Amino acid sequence: MAMDIGADGQSHKAHRSRHSGSSAKKKTKARNKEQNSDQKQQNPKAFAFRSNAKAKRLQSRAIEKEQRRLHLPVIDRSYGELPPFVVVVQGPPQVGKSLLIKSLVKHYTKHNLPEVRGPITIVSGKQRRLQFVECPNDINGMIDAAKFADLALLLIDGSYGFEMETFEFLNILQVHGFPKVMGVLTHLDKFKDVKKLKKTKQRLKHRFWTEIYDGAKLFYLSGLIHGKYPKREVHNLARFISVMKFPPLSWRTSHPYILVDRLEDVTPPERLQMNSKCDRNVALYGYLRGCNLKKGTKVHIAGVGDFSLAGVTGLSDPCPLPSAAKKKGLRDKEKLFYAPMSGLGDLLYDKDAVYININDHFVQYSKVDEMEGTTNKGNKQDVGEALVKSLQTIKNPIDEKLEKSKISFFSQNPNSSLEAEDHNRGSDEAPKLIRDIEPLKQYQSNGEEDESDFDLDGSESSDQDESVSEGAMLKNEGRNFQEGNADVSERLGRVKEQVEFHNGRKRRKAIFGDGVDHSNLKSTDEENEGDEDDDDDDDDDNDEGEDDRSNEDNESCSGSEFSDGDEEDLKSQDAMGNISKWRASLVERASKKQNTNLMQLVYGKSASISNTSANEVKDNGENEESDEDEFFKPKGQRAKNSIEGLNGGNINTEDCSKCAKFSELKNWKEEEVYESIRDRFVTGDWSKGALRNQMSEAKTEEDDMDGDFEDLETGEKYESHQKDDSSNGGIQKEDDDAIEERRLKKLALRAKFDSHYDGSESPEEETEIQNGGKFHRSQANDSGYYDKLKEEIELQKQINIAELEDLDETTRLEIEGLRTGMYLRLEVQDVPFEMIEYFDPCHPILVGGIGLGEENIGYMQTRLKRHRWHKKVLKTRDPIIVSIGWRRYQTTPVYAIEDQNGRHRMLKYTPEHMHCLAMFWGPLAPPKTGVLAVQNLSNNQAAFRIIATAYVLEFNHAARIVKKIKLVGYPCKIFKKTALIKDMFTSDLEVARFEGAAIRTVSGIRGQVKKAAKEEIGNQPKKKGGHAREGIARCTFEDRILMSDIVFLRAWTQVEVPQFYNPLTTSLQPRQKTWQGMKTVTELRREHNLPIPVNKDSLYKPIERKPRKFNPLVIPKALQADLPFESKPKSIPHQKRPLLEDRRAVVMEPHERKVHALVQHLQLIRNDKMKKRKHKEEQKRKEVEAQRARDEQVLRKRRREERQERYREQDKLKKKIRRHVEA
Amino acid sequence: MGKITYKRLKGSQNMRQRLLLATLKSTPVLIEDIHAGDTLPGLRPHEISLLRLFEKLTDDCLIEINETGTKLKYKPGIIVGGSHLVHDCGFSRAIGYFLEPLILLGLFARKTLVIILKGITNDSKDPSVDTFRSTTFPLLRHFGVPSEGLKLEIKSRGVSPHGGGEVHLTIPTVQHLTATMWTDEGMVKRIRGEAFTTRVSVQLGNEMIYAARGIFNRLLPDVYIASDYRKRLEAGNSPGYGISLVAETTSGCCISADTTVSYPRGDEEEDIEDEGKKELIPAADVGEELASVLLEEIEKGGVVDSTHQGLLFLLCALCPKDVSKVRVGKLSPYGIETLREIRDFLDVQFVIKPDPSTGTVILKCWGSGMKNLSRKTT
Repeated sequence: MAMDIGADGQSHKAHRSRHSGSSAKKKTKARNKEQNSDQKQQNPKAFAFRSNAKAKRLQSRAIEKEQRRLHLPVIDRSYGELPPFVVVVQGPPQVGKSLLIKSLVKHYTKHNLPEVRGPITIVSGKQRRLQFVECPNDINGMIDAAKFADLALLLIDGSYGFEMETFEFLNILQVHGFPKVMGVLTHLDKFKDVKKLKKTKQRLKHRFWTEIYDGAKLFYLSGLIHGKYPKREVHNLARFISVMKFPPLSWRTSHPYILVDRLEDVTPPERLQMNSKCDRNVALYGYLRGCNLKKGTKVHIAGVGDFSLAGVTGLSDPCPLPSAAKKKGLRDKEKLFYAPMSGLGDLLYDKDAVYININDHFVQYSKVDEMEGTTNKGNKQDVGEALVKSLQTIKNPIDEKLEKSKISFFSQNPNSSLEAEDHNRGSDEAPKLIRDIEPLKQYQSNGEEDESDFDLDGSESSDQDESVSEGAMLKNEGRNFQEGNADVSERLGRVKEQVEFHNGRKRRKAIFGDGVDHSNLKSTDEENEGDEDDDDDDDDDNDEGEDDRSNEDNESCSGSEFSDGDEEDLKSQDAMGNISKWRASLVERASKKQNTNLMQLVYGKSASISNTSANEVKDNGENEESDEDEFFKPKGQRAKNSIEGLNGGNINTEDCSKCAKFSELKNWKEEEVYESIRDRFVTGDWSKGALRNQMSEAKTEEDDMDGDFEDLETGEKYESHQKDDSSNGGIQKEDDDAIEERRLKKLALRAKFDSHYDGSESPEEETEIQNGGKFHRSQANDSGYYDKLKEEIELQKQINIAELEDLDETTRLEIEGLRTGMYLRLEVQDVPFEMIEYFDPCHPILVGGIGLGEENIGYMQTRLKRHRWHKKVLKTRDPIIVSIGWRRYQTTPVYAIEDQNGRHRMLKYTPEHMHCLAMFWGPLAPPKTGVLAVQNLSNNQAAFRIIATAYVLEFNHAARIVKKIKLVGYPCKIFKKTALIKDMFTSDLEVARFEGAAIRTVSGIRGQVKKAAKEEIGNQPKKKGGHAREGIARCTFEDRILMSDIVFLRAWTQVEVPQFYNPLTTSLQPRQKTWQGMKTVTELRREHNLPIPVNKDSLYKPIERKPRKFNPLVIPKALQADLPFESKPKSIPHQKRPLLEDRRAVVMEPHERKVHALVQHLQLIRNDKMKKRKHKEEQKRKEVEAQRARDEQVLRKRRREERQERYREQDKLKKKIRRHVEA
Repeated sequence: MGKITYKRLKGSQNMRQRLLLATLKSTPVLIEDIHAGDTLPGLRPHEISLLRLFEKLTDDCLIEINETGTKLKYKPGIIVGGSHLVHDCGFSRAIGYFLEPLILLGLFARKTLVIILKGITNDSKDPSVDTFRSTTFPLLRHFGVPSEGLKLEIKSRGVSPHGGGEVHLTIPTVQHLTATMWTDEGMVKRIRGEAFTTRVSVQLGNEMIYAARGIFNRLLPDVYIASDYRKRLEAGNSPGYGISLVAETTSGCCISADTTVSYPRGDEEEDIEDEGKKELIPAADVGEELASVLLEEIEKGGVVDSTHQGLLFLLCALCPKDVSKVRVGKLSPYGIETLREIRDFLDVQFVIKPDPSTGTVILKCWGSGMKNLSRKTT
């Protein structure tokens, strides 16, 4: 595909198989093995598994492996053309990023890119486009790049090794969905030693694998040749990119986003002149990715802020796929890339201007003019050329200029014109269409005449006319939606209207002379193209047109409902009658159209009531305007104004889902009445019942149902146009044909799908499935849950496609929004001027759509883990910068951990190697969104900048984190088991809050808080007349406490999470400057040279405990007297001299002495004997032990050998079995 | 972003849908001119009760009402749900009025909703609780709501004016709904129903059943209407009787109709009440009438009856970003209003195509991609 361009003409080198080296060895080994296995297969019985359990284990393992492979299928809801895949080239500075992009672009397009600025879109194959973006080197740029990258090429300087940027970027990628990653090793020519190169490659590859997965692709670019990467290697790299598959990422598939590849400042120059620092209007261009974009969506511009879209326009694809525009080979090649910011292609993008580059031999507009000009107006040719030339010098594209100049046209009162427009929007019946005006085509590729509009207005040369005719085209289209079922009288009326419209149109033309709001043109949907010629005649004299307009308004205002200016004019004329006429015509017209479309009936008219949610400011404006209006109106008029359309003015109707009307019931007892619905019952005709369902499938005619439709609110009945049926016949038939064709197409599609997915099912069954919904579907296939899920998703997708195909373009736009893959122009108003001033094309702008409920602010609870490479733990309430969804903002988290009982306990610091909860305040993101936290944005930081990763668990509006609190009090008065505790509470109110709370003394006596102490008991003021002390609590304990006891109350108190968040406005300052937000306490201390405050009580010092002195026990005399004798303290006086018995000497008898001596001798002998025996035994035991140790050693050795032998055997056996199983 | 921008609305119309959609999408709303021109201006009791209910179910929502009650500021919180909740619905509207938004809120809540609702269970203005059990819950099944968790127990019945009914409601939470292609109405295969009597003779119930059967018997033999005779505490505080009927089709659609006859409520009407007591419609007529209403609903076609149109559209609009296609009979005013509110709040428009051959309307929409964001992930 893509490679064809590069590989053309080169003869491919034939493959030469290796005859020596490691790969050759491997092959021979494999061949030998194969042969061996063949031999072994002769006795297959020998290799059957012997163990039941083992077989089971093997099987379960295999199943587990299979299951691990599966992922929950993701629904891909992009139905449009695929947008170009974004290839982000990232790497540390000076690693060769720009060069790689240049080489790739050169490879694909054969163009030399002078410099890489902004996204570069190229067509890489027939079905594939790529958009190359160079990732800026600051962390903000990296975070944004990770959010839009489909493929990240990580450039690594091979000669230096990995740098932190790579790992940081990998971490960012992981948090934000992990798109595809490929490593590219450069600077490999720095290695002189081949072996060292090989080793390095190996090492880097394995390090890379640990970071992503084993086998992740690391590409080697060997070196530079003439300052460029070798052609062949770039070619290979391109091939790798071209076969890459990009799985959908869940965040991106649920949010629309745009990578801006062109940015324009469309602020009116007058405003700029008045104040160069005024808020700007900005137009952003880019492909829509992710999911469909609806008109009301708010967007977040990364680094700037949230904005509502002032306008969304689908443009023609500036870089279409070749299949779309395959006419001339050569020109296609020229169109293959689009890089407006890079100074290549047709547009040169500069800070304050856009230059259009057109090679002379491409200019073809003169030719077109020549051909048609000669036939129609001979002298137009030069003018046309001049006009186009003049176009090249203007700053802004036409559409912007048009809008701008519309405002300047009504410069006498710009406000009113806006209001009028709003009003018009309200009263418009036709839904406002966003149309492709295709301003790009007109001057970017001026040779393109594939636009039919151009052909139509052949003679016209001025751009004004072009747009006018385009407007006419739109009108024609608009009329096609409506049924051409006007009878003769109606047609007559329309002719009249046309005249008026013609005049009105002339007026608009005058507006258009300075530029016209194209939405106005569209709104007039009942115009003939016939009056174009008239317009051409007077398109020059704007002033005259203006005069005409005012005259016309005086004469007849009936047809001017869509005009901008007339309201103001009317006011100035102070013509009440006119207003009423104007209103009357409006109502009349409305009633005429109501038959046409149920959708309009439901939605169209209510536009005036529903205050559009898109922008409140406008609403206010409208309200003011209407107030002003009412000022000039009589009362009745006002009432009439409020009664517009369907809503009968009663805005306070009771809402009842039941609309029971018992009065107008038919008499169901009558036979013909109940027979009429006989077929709706199973007792009736089944075939007719079935027909009922089928008919509706085929018939999708935009007709009203059964004759007439009753407008249920106003009570009016609108007769259907049965009489027109005859005139409509032909059209209807055509429609029917078209519908039939469409239906067939649908069926074919479904059949194709069926055959692809489920061959067994018959088409009949399939239709049943389609009708019957999910109940049948679940039984359709029992090949496993996973397959079923996949099938269901696919079926849903097919249904969606089929249903959406039915609709015409405008309704589809209303229903599903702008499709992905479209090239869009977003207009955003009131952007800070810094965005333009400090705009740097090297920093791509990401515009992300905000999903449901994501614009609200609240507390988010995340599960956070500090990055293990970040050296410090994180402190609660220290500001961190988080990146969630599209946003980046600074916030102050409070860390917590969930206790066993579900309580969220605050942590002062994040745990070392654990997850913890982090609660912070900020714009909400849905659960499961990844969060990335950094603290330091500066580039010069050496260490790892990512401090933590997290993901959102839930969001609340109220934070529920608690911390432990210990209230300490001292007894001031002790009764028996009751005590009054002071210093624990500061007021009686506080005591009341803690009534019933459990308390405890240090010694472990438990108690309870009762009530605030009354004044009478023990709580007297110190001096008479002074106030009683507040906050003394009466508490009871299980035992009497001491005055020296300290009483604790342990409780939990809520921790407030600071309501602080600060969006990172990095796009609103010079890129080199580091964004400075709230500083951490540490930083502030360091800056102001403040010491860390120390609480003296918290310091550890040696504890000195005095030896406790106990007083002797004193028993009162009276008690002593009562005690029994044995319990009485015996007071025996202390004797100074020892007793006589102790003092006397003992003299033995001679016989006694002998006996004593003998006994002593005998004991001595025995003792000696015992000692000897003991010694002997000791020696013996030692010997035995030594012997046993020796034996043991031998035994162990033998055992080990035995075991080794056994293991070897087992291993062999296992290998055999495995081989057998594999075989 | 710092300031809250309120979506400005006027009048008390569609209060339920507005509050519901505002809560689901978490858009703050400011409603002005609520019954501003009436002799008794300001919010009605049932509307206040509804706000209380919303406050009960959500976390940190902000409701501000001005002195006259003509202006309401509502900043929705996160739908929490939970069990052991009790809500007194008051006597101005029936429980059915509250059930309709409650069901959707419960589906998108954080925890399974178990709530006791007290008040009027059966009323002629709002769908009765029987209808919710028989029709609304099967309807939810089409959108991927598991039917096991859905439960509505009628502990006691109460009719106007003094209520006294009590129902226990359980609604499971869902991660998201599933889009449905539901255009096959099928043919009516059976008719079921329930006739209840509170504080009146059981005979009245039987009369209703007899009369209703009389009409159906010409069309379908499979008709079974149960009678529910309530006594003492279970019968609430006021006498009354009513009947609710459901027609089930071959394709699993349920088409229902119900009505209740009881004495009118209201303090100002108290003097008339004495004579009004005699004016209750005879039971036989009620049965006959309601049977006719059901037949008329069947005649209109569509997969749901006119009462459930609003709910059906809301469910379709709250689906993930897939196409839903449903067929309804004639669009009811309530349905139309709901469609408009959906457009305003969720930015979802329906493609509405009439089907002239059957007199039905086919609606298609591209879901808003609503997900249950309040559910906690583990």
